[in-house]
Amino acid sequence: MTRAAPWLAAAAAMIAVAFLLKDFGYYSDQYRKLMLWVALALGFNFLFGIAGQVAFSHFAFYGIGAYAVVILTFKAGLPLGVAVVLGLALCAVLAIAVGIAATRLEGFYLALATMAFAQLFLVVLTEGGAVTGGAGGIANYRLPALELGGRRFTLTGPYYTSLIALVLLATFFVFWRLDRSYFGRACRAIRDNPEAAAAMGVDVARTKIVVFTVTSVLAGAAGMAYAFVDNIVNPPVFGLENVFLLLFMVIIGGSGRHAGAVVGAILLYMLPYVLTPLIGHHQALVFGIVMVAAMLFRPDGLVGVYDRLRARYGRGAA
Amino acid sequence: MSDILELLVSAASSGCIYGLVALSYLVMIRPTGIINFAVGEWAAVGLFAAFFLLTNRWLPLPYALALIAAVAFTGLIGWGTQRIAVRPLVEKGAPILGPILALLGMLAIFRESISLIFGPDPHNLPAPFGLRQVSLGPFAGTPRDFFIIGCTAAVFVGVWLFFERTVWGKAFEAVALNRKAAALMGINLRRVTVAAFVGGAAIAGFAGVLYSLTAPRDFLMGLPLAVQGFSALVVGGVGRVEGAILGGMILALAEQLTARYADQIGIPSGMSLGVPFLLMIVFLLARPTGLLRPKEAAA
Amino acid sequence: MSAPPLLSARGLTKRFGGLVAVDGVDFDVFAGEILGLIGPNGAGKTTTFNLIAGAFAPTSGTLDFEGKPIHGLGPHEVAGRGIMRTFQHNMPFAGMSLIDNVLVGCHRRMQSGLAALVMGSRRAAAEEEKARRRAAELIGFVGLGDVADTPVVNLSFGQGRLLEVARGLAGEPRLMLFDEPAAGLTPAEAERLSDIIRGIAKRGIAVLLIEHDMRFLLPLAERVIVLNFGRKIADGTPDAIRRDPAVVEAYLGEASTIGAGEEAARA
Repeated sequence: MTRAAPWLAAAAAMIAVAFLLKDFGYYSDQYRKLMLWVALALGFNFLFGIAGQVAFSHFAFYGIGAYAVVILTFKAGLPLGVAVVLGLALCAVLAIAVGIAATRLEGFYLALATMAFAQLFLVVLTEGGAVTGGAGGIANYRLPALELGGRRFTLTGPYYTSLIALVLLATFFVFWRLDRSYFGRACRAIRDNPEAAAAMGVDVARTKIVVFTVTSVLAGAAGMAYAFVDNIVNPPVFGLENVFLLLFMVIIGGSGRHAGAVVGAILLYMLPYVLTPLIGHHQALVFGIVMVAAMLFRPDGLVGVYDRLRARYGRGAA
Repeated sequence: MSDILELLVSAASSGCIYGLVALSYLVMIRPTGIINFAVGEWAAVGLFAAFFLLTNRWLPLPYALALIAAVAFTGLIGWGTQRIAVRPLVEKGAPILGPILALLGMLAIFRESISLIFGPDPHNLPAPFGLRQVSLGPFAGTPRDFFIIGCTAAVFVGVWLFFERTVWGKAFEAVALNRKAAALMGINLRRVTVAAFVGGAAIAGFAGVLYSLTAPRDFLMGLPLAVQGFSALVVGGVGRVEGAILGGMILALAEQLTARYADQIGIPSGMSLGVPFLLMIVFLLARPTGLLRPKEAAA
Repeated sequence: MSAPPLLSARGLTKRFGGLVAVDGVDFDVFAGEILGLIGPNGAGKTTTFNLIAGAFAPTSGTLDFEGKPIHGLGPHEVAGRGIMRTFQHNMPFAGMSLIDNVLVGCHRRMQSGLAALVMGSRRAAAEEEKARRRAAELIGFVGLGDVADTPVVNLSFGQGRLLEVARGLAGEPRLMLFDEPAAGLTPAEAERLSDIIRGIAKRGIAVLLIEHDMRFLLPLAERVIVLNFGRKIADGTPDAIRRDPAVVEAYLGEASTIGAGEEAARA
């Protein structure tokens, strides 16, 4: 199967990095978080860049996934597998409910409704008492041991990092395949012209709900992986700030393109390393400037810049 | 009973601030269709500018002058904002989402600039008339509350007169109804956009100044205030000036009632933080025009 | 015509507030025919078109397509039954290539579920392959073969109109609706489009056109329905329509338009 080769190579490379970093705790931790950001950016790109929905609830679903798996496993005492399935089902049900409600809203009002939903989720987390752990969140839990063929083992260190790599690759694979199918074309058609899309037989409302649900559930899955990175879940991580950052990543990288989401996420995640020595913790200032510049001069983002350069200087004659 | 009246005064004063923020959105949305989330940041600009003008070592201004200068400065910032992030996109024919997203970038720029200049600590303005309790008929509150209510009333009356009684206000409405037709009638869209952003920023800046009278605020104050203001706008309706203040009052009252009485029915009082979002969701879904429909739709 | 009609409208009525835009109109469309729908401004042509296309539901009356009611269905459901359309003002999917635009037209024939798409099932692949062949064939049919992979923003207005035609045909329609297809085209482009529309009818697809330009419509249509003030005032061959006194009266102000059409038809 030559079709599978690039995917296997990518998995091998990403797992190799996980093992290379295994003795460097800080970098290993950053690597895990970077991969989760990339997974989130890919989903947000599908929702915003490909399907044209401006929704600010992406991090809320990341949080719902994370909290659900922790609460169901450690407060309700369910087996991890059951907790994962139930958590994803919860994400799906909530996403369908929000999605159905949101299809009644046009344009930016969808963004506002999803933002209100996301903020409401934060309030519920903060005021959830013993169930959600309030403002401090829930901490001091560990990934339970898995049983496979009678042997018990725990995914730790590079093995858990590898699991995150697989979550990322699976996310990428799903969106990549969907994008190249009639479903992806229907999404782009709705983004470009919903009236014409409907005239071509695309069920606009249903497609929007499906996109919202798929991207939200995969954000939830990434959130579940995140829950065992720091072994703590608390409200601030899932707030509006991070959704803005996600939006900046996708637009700066090049919205509507998977490569754009990956490049944007990596760039904005790594940029603080370069910026902190220069301007302290005000990297958001640079993000804002780059975001405005991108909107003004290069709405197709860095990937668009690359395409242009290649067309001009590369062997682009082909 | 006096408990309720006191709550009413305090709700009215925070309702005024939400109403002003909603009004700031409204004067920009009506003619341009642009929802500008940077209004909260503009409020912060107004507040920090007033703080600086009052307390700087070189030329501390008298109280009233400092407030006026801070509001004017915020208006100037509004002009700059639209010049950088709105006009080029509108003139390129970009979809309306373009400027909305660019303004989110501006939001980050404003916030980080304020934090760079003033640091992360909360700042507040001295209350203009001290903090003793005063009564006005059956209503009791701080002079600060009455100051906020009075100023807000003045702003709303002014903006209402502008829309109802001036040629400029009519031009705004014409553009709100139909951009192309308004342009054909000789209304200069660019000037209307500039006026909308300068006016919106000045109103937001004033809201920020008043907001800081109630408690110290830090550079992160913008976004939550922007969300509350938008929620007030959604409740009241984007169509009419009166809607903004009505929405602000309803929102503030709902918040304060929840904060005070939710405990008694078994809901944590912190849930009052969720009230704006709940109201926003309910209104977006059930009555997207808000309580007050625009006049032309009602006719 | 003894075969049952493909589409039949009975008592079709649409009110907007106090205004009756379409008032009790009856008509049939038969497979493989080219039917023109004309009338002076405000006659109710566009409203009738929108009722068929599902943009809104009739106030009363029925629309049956292949014997099943379609009134009250939404646009995507009407398309799903096999009625595709073009837009008067070209409405391409601006962020996509020409071929992807046309592939969107194939949407109603795509049946694979999301899981099959993600897993890359053989059936999903076959379906996609078939759609691509069909899209390529239709792009050739309308004569845009050399720009198939071009982003649509780079197409000319006339090419954009042909895109609309190919995109509609991609849905394998039984009835194809054209909303003023000649508007904005050069005479040469309009001539090409006429040939293409005849080719569509030859494939057994019914064609319903609304059109202002009589020079374009009269030589092309096999039958013409005339609306005035929301009512049907004539239904017949282009020749019969030209001589119909009711039509001449309705068009009094625009008589020159009909005359011009006549000249063009003779030429």
